Amino acid sequence: MIYVENLRKEFKKTIKEPGIKGSLKSFFKPKKEIIAAVKDISFEVNEGEILGFIGPNGAGKSTVIKMLTGILSPTSGSCSINGKNPQKDRKQYVKEIGVVFGQRTQLWWDLPLTETYTVLKEIYEVDDSRFKKRMEFLNEVLELDGFIKSPVRTLSLGQRMRADIAASLLHSPKVLFLDEPTIGLDVVVKDSIRKAIAKINAEENTTVILTTHDLEDIETLSKRIVMIDKGSKVFDGKIADLKEKYGQMRELAFVSSDENALDILSYAEKFGLEGDDLFAESDGASFKVRFNSSIVPVSDMLSYTLSKINVKDINVKDADIEEIIRRLYKEGVQNG
Amino acid sequence: MGKKLRIYLPFVNAGLQEVSTYRANWIFYILGDIMACFVSFFVWEAVFISTGGETFMGFARSDMVVYIFMSFLTGQIIGSGGTYDIGEEVKDGSIAMRMIKPISYNSTFLFQEIGNKIMEIGIIFVPLVAGVEIYRFAVTGSLKFDILRFLLYLVCCVFAYAINFCFNICFGFTAFIFKNLWGSNMLKNTIVGFLSGSIIPIAFLPGVLKDILTYLPFSSLSYTPVMVYMGMYSGWEMLFFIGLQIFWAIIFWCLSKVIWKCVIKRLSIQGG
Repeated sequence: MIYVENLRKEFKKTIKEPGIKGSLKSFFKPKKEIIAAVKDISFEVNEGEILGFIGPNGAGKSTVIKMLTGILSPTSGSCSINGKNPQKDRKQYVKEIGVVFGQRTQLWWDLPLTETYTVLKEIYEVDDSRFKKRMEFLNEVLELDGFIKSPVRTLSLGQRMRADIAASLLHSPKVLFLDEPTIGLDVVVKDSIRKAIAKINAEENTTVILTTHDLEDIETLSKRIVMIDKGSKVFDGKIADLKEKYGQMRELAFVSSDENALDILSYAEKFGLEGDDLFAESDGASFKVRFNSSIVPVSDMLSYTLSKINVKDINVKDADIEEIIRRLYKEGVQNG
Repeated sequence: MGKKLRIYLPFVNAGLQEVSTYRANWIFYILGDIMACFVSFFVWEAVFISTGGETFMGFARSDMVVYIFMSFLTGQIIGSGGTYDIGEEVKDGSIAMRMIKPISYNSTFLFQEIGNKIMEIGIIFVPLVAGVEIYRFAVTGSLKFDILRFLLYLVCCVFAYAINFCFNICFGFTAFIFKNLWGSNMLKNTIVGFLSGSIIPIAFLPGVLKDILTYLPFSSLSYTPVMVYMGMYSGWEMLFFIGLQIFWAIIFWCLSKVIWKCVIKRLSIQGG
């Protein structure tokens, strides 16, 4: 369905030195530097799959989406969607896809919302009966009724996002690209958008590529994720695998009356843990220790700690996807 | 063709509605332009008074009045905001939203702009032409209005708009490289204003300059339609200058296609 091979995008960037002098200098003689926003990324997506595409800000997610939707041309590498090259035959290609950029709108800003749909109906050559059916369906899943006659500029962000998603689905695309569709929305709207995406995916077997910073989006919608950082792919697989691969880290938090508990315990020496496998941090009376539970079982860690110091309270934290990804974002992944 | 028109017709409608949404803004804009037109009128009045004659370089005083107001009207008809619009869309990245649609990028601009214009021309066209003709009648004592020349004037305006639209699109595409067009757009407007004869009639310029400007594309924009309207050209001259207009329209249309192909590879979307 979607094949991406060694996709690469480089941008020229002007480097400005600080201060007035720097501004003047860069005005007359700009210093250019080539920056690779996306570095040779490859992946595949099957028909009917929902792929979660994640990574920290500036990782290159949007750049990849823009290349896949035919807006940007890759510096090298190739992608093919439905057997089509997005750059070669843009007009034909975009008929088969729907795109939502959460930070922009494709709706006609000054016109009532219905007008946008009428325009899109003509653009995509949807016939009257299909259009009517489609609008009924979209109305049902995205609840557009309340504001369909209002000018777009008067809509709230949540309404606008639902309207935008409906606009991207009007022509029943085979592939749907969603770039941060839940950005800035409240819990209720997020939930209704997730349900709508899941429903459309289930009923029409639409392939979805979704980028987001909200990991709940990913956990409720997709089984598979591709994670990129600094333009390179660092993980590609099931969420369950990610948990297994990076999820053995457990965290124990203790409240103790011993002030220098960590010195007394000296976990590193006792268990022979080093590097990424151990992280301990003290905050006055309480301290926490994060460790690799595949090397040291949680029970061993607990009984050892309890035997050494005076513990008032214990908190055991489970491995969750959010924690794993926070760790990966923060530390970066050395070798994918 | 009919199907194509159906796709782009909503853009005309949207352009029209845009104007009516920001009515006050639009009225002030037109008023500003009309004032500038009167300033130009008084400047030329002063020129005629100070030279003490009723004719100046082959233009009668009444001709000059017609010239000023007709070039204003022509300017409004052929005006194109393509440069500014493309510049803005590149600057804020919203060009991306046009590119994900199965439609021609240029045509959406064209039809939206036609929608913008229908209203404007509908309001100022009849009063201006009527005013100019009544003035001519009052000064010369005879009706100068010629229906054939008037129709030819409209044809000239269509070609002039085609040239201006394509030229502005070409120019707007440089936004892909410069990223922000405000400065170069101002420069362009001033230069084109002079070269097209809308500030000073090209006939007033010294020999070589006049010959060069006559054949450059810019005289086709405003000078040719106005001279046709005023009856300054003979039949053959009219045909020649309309031919020249068609020539330049084709050149700029091809150029806009070529430039589009080149710059699309350089596009980078600003702002996420």
